[in-house]
Amino acid sequence: MNQVITVTATRQSAVRGSVDPHLSIRHYDPDADLMLLHFGPQHPSTHGVFRMDLHLDGEIIVKATPYVGYLHRAVEKLCEKLSFVQQTPIVDKNDYVAPMTNEQALNMAFEKLLGVEVPRRARWMRTLFAELQRIASHLLALGTFCIDLGGALGGGSTAFIHTFRERELILDLFEEVTGARFHYNTHTIGGQRHDLPAGFAAKVNAALDIIEARIPEYEAMSLGNAIFQARTKGVGVLDGQLALELGITGPILRACGIDHDLRRDAPYSAYDELVPKVIVRQGGDTYARMRVRFDETAESIALCRKAIDGMPEGPINGYKPIRQPTMAKSAGGQVYVGIETPRGELGTFVIGGGDTPTSPYRLKIRPPSLHALSAIPYIMPGATVSDAVAILGSLDPIMGEVDR
Amino acid sequence: MAVNGNGSGDGRKRLPVVDEGALAYDHPLYDTLLNVPGLSVATTSLDALLNWGLMNSLWIFPMATSCCGIELMAAAASRVDLDRMGTIVRATPRQAEVMVIAGTITVKMAPRVKTLWEQMPEPKWAIAMGSCAISGDFYRNLYAVVPGIDTVLPVDIYIPGCPPNPEALMQGLLRLKEKVALRRAGKLPPHDDRPGMLDVTRPSIARLLDPARDRALDQQQEDSALNASSFDRSDEPEDGEERAPDQLPDAIASTPPAEIEALLRDEFGVTELAPKDGAPVVAADKHVALARRLRGMGYQIFVYVVATHFPEKTGKVVAPERFEVAYALRTVGAGSKLVSWRLKLEPGQEAPSLVGVFAGADWQEREQWDLVGVRFAGHPDLRRLMMPDNWEGHPLRKDYPADKACPPWR
Repeated sequence: MNQVITVTATRQSAVRGSVDPHLSIRHYDPDADLMLLHFGPQHPSTHGVFRMDLHLDGEIIVKATPYVGYLHRAVEKLCEKLSFVQQTPIVDKNDYVAPMTNEQALNMAFEKLLGVEVPRRARWMRTLFAELQRIASHLLALGTFCIDLGGALGGGSTAFIHTFRERELILDLFEEVTGARFHYNTHTIGGQRHDLPAGFAAKVNAALDIIEARIPEYEAMSLGNAIFQARTKGVGVLDGQLALELGITGPILRACGIDHDLRRDAPYSAYDELVPKVIVRQGGDTYARMRVRFDETAESIALCRKAIDGMPEGPINGYKPIRQPTMAKSAGGQVYVGIETPRGELGTFVIGGGDTPTSPYRLKIRPPSLHALSAIPYIMPGATVSDAVAILGSLDPIMGEVDR
Repeated sequence: MAVNGNGSGDGRKRLPVVDEGALAYDHPLYDTLLNVPGLSVATTSLDALLNWGLMNSLWIFPMATSCCGIELMAAAASRVDLDRMGTIVRATPRQAEVMVIAGTITVKMAPRVKTLWEQMPEPKWAIAMGSCAISGDFYRNLYAVVPGIDTVLPVDIYIPGCPPNPEALMQGLLRLKEKVALRRAGKLPPHDDRPGMLDVTRPSIARLLDPARDRALDQQQEDSALNASSFDRSDEPEDGEERAPDQLPDAIASTPPAEIEALLRDEFGVTELAPKDGAPVVAADKHVALARRLRGMGYQIFVYVVATHFPEKTGKVVAPERFEVAYALRTVGAGSKLVSWRLKLEPGQEAPSLVGVFAGADWQEREQWDLVGVRFAGHPDLRRLMMPDNWEGHPLRKDYPADKACPPWR
């Protein structure tokens, strides 16, 4: 190949427009004096165990090569061995910042495969839990993102300390219901395992009041802050069309100005009755991504209030709760269910049947974070090393679900 | 010069110590002091001073790989605030004394953990936080996971839980402080069986202190969790008893949206639009054209690629070995619709790659090649994605045992 890409700091915009992630570094300008920087797999800003090889021209990234798999825990193989009812606690650990939505996605796929109806109260509870989880997840994303920008001992940890304080309120609510701070194991096939305790509505409203009152405070210390904006605006711009092609969903896609949210567009659980207002922002940059998450937090608070106020009475599980492996058998077929988690479309693909009808023949989890990370070779070139941390933080990847 | 195995090669007299390893890292000043008669009082005082300093400034290196890492962050954040114990989370091994292994360690990650451990200066301690770091938890017998981090490095404190509460982590650090205080004496802190020590795995402080908390509900939840007989089980079948066949649901087919049924039937030669066993089957040579066509029709979001291995005998069905690759696309915006289709491949047959149409197929196809072993023709960079590059075999093939040996752990 004769192709040589000349890379200098002044030509960064040209590089950004024509990125080929598969072009070997050998074809880049040999006179550019590039430096290779290994970033991760152990680094507090990688949000887990993620590795990038950054080729640098001075401070400017000219090529970024991501590597995943450092947390590949063989979840899909394990699920093929276990029966349907045993798998909820396993998938809890995938997206460990939003376990509720993991459980929901898995059990909804099993319900579709096994033809199980979910009572209305259980669907409303799932919606309530999912929205509370979204608040907790976005708070964590905002707090850790500020650490990424400011350093743990710099100003960044201020926002982290604040958002974690409020996240604890949500974890307390979940602990009240399920007994666990996370890894709840509360969704089952056909409904829920734990009913809402007495007086739960008042506690939810009290916690939401506190969080809602503090939203302007977060705004002032993060998104409204001039330094924050200088670090994030125009950084890591992702094109909407490319995002669709890469399969990116969730807040990252909506930050590119594309109005897509499965809660509204393919309603599940109680979202046909509790229609969320979809937050869309323009720009596709790091700031827009955090802005979408921030505004979604406020919208989720409103949804939670509606869900807890309108919570219907009734059973929380199907008329015959499935508790034993022998009670859930699949005759075969292929099912895919995707739901909107805080990170995008989390899907569960199941093929039933096979040797043991009580367990899936093939189970594949479609993680939104894996698709988000695949954007890195496209959006990193042209940014500086300090921007790389900001861009990665704004993608909000959770390595547990990336690698499974 | 050959080194004597018992360490008396230079002929210098050494004092007997309880733990040879514990001395190896100590300050050279010790050697001088220990060899001067009458100065043992000074060494004892110096011990006390150094230990006091160490135990009150245990800086943590967070080897946070997964869920426990979030609890480690929560412990460092507002409510629990580890900093008040003198611990600061330092993200570099060179400035830390305690490595907290918080999360699952995989065979791909373990060599990195070892490297980082070796980069930490002595004296150093390790805390295995959570059941994955302790034993591998339920991933223990799987091909990809290390069955406990103590197979890689020496662990001082084990904190059980999945994940342990921040309070449990704090308890573990307090126990470590006791251990540090006794460091030079070569003793271990006494076993502590005060009732309070066991309470750390109970619900968190805020819950227990909440005066409005309904204690009866606590009891009820505990009973239902611990005592399975509190469930009404009258309508459940006995163990081993099968459900009647009419209670089994019909096989689920993935039917395509109405508007593309005609397209699939007329232009892509699909004979069965809703087969019993899954999505419509498309011929491998027409499949890239189909993806391109669907993209033009508004199916712009790339959803998944899933390869499945069917060995010769699947259940009661005996058929030649084959692979199936399922694809799905989705429309954008209101009323989002999903369309999925399948390819059926012989062993060794390659699936045409979709990378030219959807950039997202890149990693998905790499993952399926890595885990299932289906090759994708025309993929520009078909390397392993999840497993290490030198891994042998494809773990999600049905003939690959889940607990296949992974040296050096099994």
